[in-house]
Amino acid sequence: MEQVSSEFLRGTLKTIVLKLLSEQNKMYGYQITQAVKERTRGELTLTFGALYPVLHKLEQEGLLINESVEVDGRLRKYYSLTDSGTQMAIQKISEFERFVDYMQQLFQTPPNLAYGN
Amino acid sequence: MEKLNPQQIDRIHKYLLQSGLSDGLLNELLDHLVCEVEHYLWIGLPFESALQRTLLDANAESVQKLRKLYQEELTFSEAQLAEASLDDILFQFRNKSYGAYSLRQSYQKTLVYALGGALGLGLMMIALLHLISQKNWSYWSPWGLVWIIGVGAVTGAIVMYFLQQERWESIPDHEEG
Repeated sequence: MEQVSSEFLRGTLKTIVLKLLSEQNKMYGYQITQAVKERTRGELTLTFGALYPVLHKLEQEGLLINESVEVDGRLRKYYSLTDSGTQMAIQKISEFERFVDYMQQLFQTPPNLAYGN
Repeated sequence: MEKLNPQQIDRIHKYLLQSGLSDGLLNELLDHLVCEVEHYLWIGLPFESALQRTLLDANAESVQKLRKLYQEELTFSEAQLAEASLDDILFQFRNKSYGAYSLRQSYQKTLVYALGGALGLGLMMIALLHLISQKNWSYWSPWGLVWIIGVGAVTGAIVMYFLQQERWESIPDHEEG
């Protein structure tokens, strides 16, 4: 189970992060992993090794900005979407929804159409 | 929610320091791991086993893997690379605020100031010897002018050097921001 989901997860990480950030004003890394865990009732887990490279890549592309806030004696980095990030989030989410649609169509091919019988 | 005390946070910090992460990533991972330990504490584990469970995921291997990934994927873009100096590339994943980066950055200028200062000192010495042998101290003689130029060069070099050092201090802040 873990193996399979991580394979699909890899390609959708960016979209997941953009989607979560588009709903909340700002989030920090651990909060994002928890949000994913909670929403999927623990079925999907984002490891920090997968999350942070994506966050920093998005930041480098100018889609996110971060601000550091001191919390309990340590620095916490909050990420939020920039204007182009918001645009990108909308685009990626609709793209992904279309993709899920196509996948469903693909998997639900009626038997009488299958393989040209 | 249970909070970790500074000693406990320090233990995690030391653990991450050993893995040689760059500053920004280290602080971020520290926050992440502390959050995770606090979560385990909250569901009722004692600190030691909470820490152990957290570090099971964040073992040395996975942290190293992350560090490598950063070096490979998050390097400069083409445009940045065209503008970056050798020092920028060398220090991209190293601690810039430690001092070696700014030393290297200002090396050329420091060299010029040092040469200017040395030249000025030389001029002062020559002028001093001449003025003494003439037994007549006048600022308006040619050697007097050489003396003044020498004093000016030395003062200029010293002042510029200290001004530059003040600028050093602000370099890390700009980089972090």
